[in-house]
Amino acid sequence: MNCAECRDNFIACAEGLLDRGEELQCRAHLETCPECRAEYEGIARLHQRLLARGQAAAGVDIVETVMRRVRQEQFKLERETIMSKLFKHRWGFGLGAAAGAAAILLLLLGTSPKAQARAAEVMTQGAQAVARLTSIHLRGQLRTAPQDNFSHIDAEREFCAIELWKQFVPELKWRAEKPGRVAVMDGESTVLYIKNGHYGNRFPHPSPSAYDTEWLHRIASLGNTISNELRNAQAKGWQMDTSEETAADGKVKSVVTIHAKSGVPENDYLKNSFFDNADTRRVYRFDAGTKLLEAVQFYLVRPSGETLIFDLNQIDYNQPLDAKLFVLDLPADVSWWQEPQTLPDNEKYASMTVEQAARAFLEACSRKDWDEAGKFMSPINEQVKQYLGGLEIVSLGESFASKSYGGRFVPYEIKLQPQEFNVRVSNTNRAKRWVLTGQYDTKLQLEHDFKMSTEPEVLANNEAYARLSAQEAVQAYFDAQAKFDWVEMRKFTSELDVTETKSQVEMAEAQGMDAHKIMPVIEAVEAFWSPEQSAWFVKCRASATKKWNLAVRNDNPARRWQVDGGF
Amino acid sequence: MDLADKEQVARCRDGHPEDFGLLVDRYQKPLFSFLASRVGNFPQAEEAAQESFVRAFLSLKKLRKPESFYSWLLGIAGRVAKEQFRAELHQRKDRQAAETMMMSAAGRDEEYPVEEAIAVLPEHHRQVILLRYYEGLSCKEVAVRLALPLGTVTKTLSRAYALLRQELQARGGGEQTVNKTRQS
Repeated sequence: MNCAECRDNFIACAEGLLDRGEELQCRAHLETCPECRAEYEGIARLHQRLLARGQAAAGVDIVETVMRRVRQEQFKLERETIMSKLFKHRWGFGLGAAAGAAAILLLLLGTSPKAQARAAEVMTQGAQAVARLTSIHLRGQLRTAPQDNFSHIDAEREFCAIELWKQFVPELKWRAEKPGRVAVMDGESTVLYIKNGHYGNRFPHPSPSAYDTEWLHRIASLGNTISNELRNAQAKGWQMDTSEETAADGKVKSVVTIHAKSGVPENDYLKNSFFDNADTRRVYRFDAGTKLLEAVQFYLVRPSGETLIFDLNQIDYNQPLDAKLFVLDLPADVSWWQEPQTLPDNEKYASMTVEQAARAFLEACSRKDWDEAGKFMSPINEQVKQYLGGLEIVSLGESFASKSYGGRFVPYEIKLQPQEFNVRVSNTNRAKRWVLTGQYDTKLQLEHDFKMSTEPEVLANNEAYARLSAQEAVQAYFDAQAKFDWVEMRKFTSELDVTETKSQVEMAEAQGMDAHKIMPVIEAVEAFWSPEQSAWFVKCRASATKKWNLAVRNDNPARRWQVDGGF
Repeated sequence: MDLADKEQVARCRDGHPEDFGLLVDRYQKPLFSFLASRVGNFPQAEEAAQESFVRAFLSLKKLRKPESFYSWLLGIAGRVAKEQFRAELHQRKDRQAAETMMMSAAGRDEEYPVEEAIAVLPEHHRQVILLRYYEGLSCKEVAVRLALPLGTVTKTLSRAYALLRQELQARGGGEQTVNKTRQS
């Protein structure tokens, strides 16, 4: 062992973490090398000194106290800033001043200065009311994919519920939830759990907002909303205006409207998919008496018109929050995300182009080489293995960027390994035809209920359909689906199922995909009876082609390209 | 996933002031330790640490090198400690007690460079030192916390020590210099 190796091992040696052989080598070197021995002894003294320093500070915990003071100072500052702007505005406006601060102010206040100044005042009062809060609960609905990020929006989707519970005292805790994912900050750590994927992400420290929930937290803390909206209004020329309306109960409401522009070009790949890259009209309704915020609506503004995408219709102030809200009861098999670490052969991966990394990842999936695939994506859980294992690469394109994403996108087309599933069928109806009532996995766990609420009607040519076996009926249904023959599909399943399939196809086409090409080819293999379920099932096999864009980024300590999404 | 100081400061400046709590969490103990050695008692050190963080938050926009947040914070803390010391001195009517305070304060300075020396370490070295000593984690626990192999942690710590010793000797805060100060 030479001097450099010995010095690298000082700590491991001092703390008994070397194996026997290495420790003997290290100690033998120290015996013979006076310079290293002197350094080792110096380090031992430094170790003792640092231990003492750390022990003296062991009980210190001033985070909450500092943050309480920070919030007070920040609020004071914001109020002063807003008031000073309003004051300058009145003064400058009266004198017709055209330079410096007045010019900035006119940009902020737009063409209707009085209304805009009033908007800032209403929001300041709202923030003052909010500053006395001990807890808040927001409940609303958002047009979004249930599994996707908390800030994901999709104007073509149905609404789904979204909630935030936030406790300010005695210590900050919060929980954000939508049907497919939940995030909890329990005062010590911050955890995200994606329900269907059994996938988790954990920060070992408390975070005031995380996992794309900032926009919800901003509503819960109007102080942030004000500073943010004002800053944007100044920097980007957003308009703010206000109006008053009388509700059915006679109470007067102050309405503040903000016309937010993302600055993301219309042709950007991610335009309008998340709050921060969408152009929105944001409407905040305050009770004129209590000054409290009562409702919020966000509208997506596109050249084709406006769509309501977020409707916050319930805000509970200072209600006791159940402590259980901040405890996540997770299943044992959660796959946890891990930040990529520097590998022994890291340079091989760090020097790859993004296209090379995408290819290497897909090829590893194709070979089912999960150790190798794991160098490009975390976590590789059973679902990923089942979905991507054995895939075949059809094509890979050149990468491109989006203004609102830190990584790049690589277009790909792959053939997925056939996936097996089962459909539940029944012919105990007055038309005596086999119809599909639900989709199940290979273990006969329900994945999707087709919700057959009414009996199938007797068709004009019912006899031809009644003669089909269960397997033939299922095959006919999937053949009709492949041809987008909605009329034919309706003969085998519920209206709801047909409508959902149709809307998925329309959505894929709206996103520029060739829906015919991505529709899986499904083969009905055989029918069987399940005594446990007391029902008939047809085993099916789906072979699909997937054409989409892999999201990949390398802003991690190991500088390796990591797959971030895009399946 | 711990953000580096630079990114954390950028987030605080960019509309996420609540994230300042993460910086407080990261540096409260070394800052306290630094202040305790300067002001001489724990309640005052805690008060000075709070004040330093609040001032740092209010001046965050002025920070030119966000990656040097911690050493900038120590600079603020040094000024807070001096102000606190002067204020206390001013309040003391008893001259002898004031002189005793001054003498003991002079003696306290002998160890303060440790936290200052930590501040000039590269961020990944500083991170392991803070976790090992100020968070009180073992090397194995540091490895788990940072999701790094144990060997990487012990090697990083060994190198951090060497840098720290060099820095302390350059600043005259090493063990030998302390002894000389005591003799004089």
